[in-house]
Amino acid sequence: MADSDLKVLVYDQLAIGEPLGSYEYVLTQKMLDDFRQSVGDPEAPFPTLAVKHDATALRMVYNDTTGGVNAGNEVEFFNPPIPGKKITVTGRIADKYSRRDKPYLVIEATATDEDGRLLEKLRTYQMKKPDEVGKKWHPKK
Amino acid sequence: MASQKIEINQEIPSVTKSVTRQSIDQFESVGIMETENIHNSEEMARERLGTDYILASGRMSITFAAESLRKFFGSEVFNHTGTVNLKFLRPVTSGDTITVYGNVVNQEKVETGTLVSVDIYCENQNQDKTAAGLGTAIVP
Repeated sequence: MADSDLKVLVYDQLAIGEPLGSYEYVLTQKMLDDFRQSVGDPEAPFPTLAVKHDATALRMVYNDTTGGVNAGNEVEFFNPPIPGKKITVTGRIADKYSRRDKPYLVIEATATDEDGRLLEKLRTYQMKKPDEVGKKWHPKK
Repeated sequence: MASQKIEINQEIPSVTKSVTRQSIDQFESVGIMETENIHNSEEMARERLGTDYILASGRMSITFAAESLRKFFGSEVFNHTGTVNLKFLRPVTSGDTITVYGNVVNQEKVETGTLVSVDIYCENQNQDKTAAGLGTAIVP
């Protein structure tokens, strides 16, 4: 979907509980292999972390021209996904709040597979003033 | 581990990971939407963060922490009852070496077993904390 087809993300207009994109995809063996190689763990069971279910759900609905910095993640594991199975993801806006004059957005996604197994629930805390964080970090050379 | 006695202050196995441009790119490649972001585009990182380097996704650190916790609790326990909750404190980028540390801080009886909580943090090669938080699992 082209960005022009999406709603422009306006923080003040986001509603807590608002549904984000729901989507399906098939987890491939290559996705699992690439994930495991990227994190140097041949037994890593949740490539869904790299698929970024919640951020993908947001991206499917909104054109986020501001971006955000990931201030934190919470993940609950229920069952490892199985390559070849279709995964269904539902996303929502779980919360939004201000802390130290910075706006935060909490997005959430829940994943189940085609057999109805609950796989994972992921939440991301996005700080929606990314330039502030960049200043604090002092760019590396 | 699930069959062994867990003690307060017990350390979990540490893992150390080298983060490279290749590992960051490969992690990003698993995604199902091809998008330019601060993890794969220096230009986007410069525009949005003012940095001159890309950032590793925080979810890579989540995965590193999950590996430590899985090795402590065992796959059968952690992959079905585990949680990881991390706040990201400093950026992680190509060239960094990240080590995960943790120790047990609480045990609490719950309906299905014992909820064990582990303080976890990630440290870079300069001994700066890059992330900190809590991991849990329910041991039967």
